Amino acid sequence: MREELLKSFVDMDEQEAVRIARELVESDGGAVAVLETCKEAMEEVGRLFEAGEYFLSELIAAGDMFNQIMEFTLPKLQGDEVASIGTMVLGTVQGDVHNIGKDIFKVMAEASGINVIDIGIDVPHEKFVEAIKEHKPELVGMCCLITLGVDSMKRTIEVIKEAGLRDDIKIIIGGGRVSQAVMEHVGADAWADDAARGVRLSKELLGKE
Amino acid sequence: MVSPEMQKLAQERAARMQAAIELKEPDRVPFTGLGGDIVAAYAGITAYEFEFDFEKNRQAAIKWLKDFPADSPVGGIGGLDNLAMSVAFVDFPDLANQFFMVNGPMNDVLNMKFARFPGRQLDEYSSRQFIGGKNMEPEEYDELIADPVKFSYEKILPRIAGNLADLGSPTSLATMARLGMVKAQQAAEMRKTGAALAELGYPTGGGSTFAFAPLDYIGDHLRDLPNLVLDIRRYPDKVKAAAEAILEVLVKWTLQGKAAGAVQAGFPLHLNEYLSPKLYREFYWPTLKEYILRLREEGMRSRLFCEGWHDAHLDTFLELPAGWGIAAFEKTDVRKAKKVLAGHTCISGGIDVGVVISGTPAEIDEYIKRLLGDMMPGGGFILGPNVGNLPRNTPIENVAAVYEAVEKYGKY
Repeated sequence: MREELLKSFVDMDEQEAVRIARELVESDGGAVAVLETCKEAMEEVGRLFEAGEYFLSELIAAGDMFNQIMEFTLPKLQGDEVASIGTMVLGTVQGDVHNIGKDIFKVMAEASGINVIDIGIDVPHEKFVEAIKEHKPELVGMCCLITLGVDSMKRTIEVIKEAGLRDDIKIIIGGGRVSQAVMEHVGADAWADDAARGVRLSKELLGKE
Repeated sequence: MVSPEMQKLAQERAARMQAAIELKEPDRVPFTGLGGDIVAAYAGITAYEFEFDFEKNRQAAIKWLKDFPADSPVGGIGGLDNLAMSVAFVDFPDLANQFFMVNGPMNDVLNMKFARFPGRQLDEYSSRQFIGGKNMEPEEYDELIADPVKFSYEKILPRIAGNLADLGSPTSLATMARLGMVKAQQAAEMRKTGAALAELGYPTGGGSTFAFAPLDYIGDHLRDLPNLVLDIRRYPDKVKAAAEAILEVLVKWTLQGKAAGAVQAGFPLHLNEYLSPKLYREFYWPTLKEYILRLREEGMRSRLFCEGWHDAHLDTFLELPAGWGIAAFEKTDVRKAKKVLAGHTCISGGIDVGVVISGTPAEIDEYIKRLLGDMMPGGGFILGPNVGNLPRNTPIENVAAVYEAVEKYGKY
């Protein structure tokens, strides 16, 4: 049944994947099996995206399936069965009010086992600092869609430095306008212009790949 | 009065663009110039002033264009796409296009839920932003298909325009009256800006109007992009039928722009990079292609701005007749596009704004030199930034380095 779930999920057969997951989750140890299989499926979808076989619509559909299935799976899991590989504070930087890219990344990151603290859109520089102090993440993810976000990322990272927190964290920037040059310009540790690459690099920054 | 010298300059600029569109080599590479938030910063004004004050906007544009002249101008108050309102009023050709772009002062009257402006919902140095939104449920596809105009007027407009929430109410009637007054003032201001640009040697007339891929209307204004890509899997037949119904309305709307003098229709593509080639060809491209061909039959050319990555869909352009129009690219490498489209499609773009923001003048010089070396031979290329907005803090010496490099390496 795990095989069937994996296949229907990766093939984007939403109805079938949800049906199998519902059935499997009721069996003994089924919830853990569903969680692990769906994580594996999300990883495969990410791999197919990076290989150019899947596109953003498949990432969105996969994220939606993952969320649908987790809604009835997570309540059946014990706390220690949902292990996290690290914590990330994630937000769209000040001045930018877009959320689509951030939300696609978020569900994929969660599916990979990262505990994501989503602090929203148009996030003031100081709010990143406060969230880092409060949640003590290993990673900070900053998103922007518009070019204005580049200035804002640079400033946010400066403020994090001024607060003496830069050495405690790794910073990954993401969004349509970021690149290697932008990463160097703003002083981040990694960059991604799509969610699949972003998750892969986040895991690398956590030393998990 | 425009001097003969500036009239001649305007003719040269227009001819340069025209030659590239016709896939020829002009005298120099046509360059659309850089712009965006930096124009306001260069004039020492806020984004809020630039978006709401026509006089300050005009002076900022003039200052920029005097120091950084290109083949097409910046200038005028920009806006956010308000297509649902144009669709709702498409049976009123004198009005439909007037509503298409909602700028800051218009939004003060309408209060659109998808719009964020500096000095209003955003701080006064921010860029204006379109955030979209879900304004329609999947159960409503049949209503949309049956009559997209009626659906837009009766269902969508009240949901997206805060001050038209109750159609027929005193508030909604007052809103439309106020909108008419604002538009009349703005028309006078636009004429002044047009005259100022003519004095700087920019072509007047032969302008551009807008067009939209039918699925982008659904993605941007009705269902939002993530919901639309799920709908494509869940209700494929409804999505196709809706795209066909919307096509008829949008063609009618774009041709109203032609009647007002436009020779070109600009399509900003949004859903393109979300779709695999299979979904693109099945759902997105058929109505877009027909749109382009129908405009062509009416004597209009099209310009497609391919947002994000368009690599997987490049070959679809070859289904159009050679010389059909312009394909502008954001992330797709223009060199890669040239390999597929040379001699068939005019290519536009090439300058990654990330390089302009973060490079050094020497790196930028080298970057432009290589870009033009690859793209100019054979013609059919218009140089421009990959996205229209340079942020406020872009080093001005980097901007200057772009223009100097274009001057140095841009001659055929």
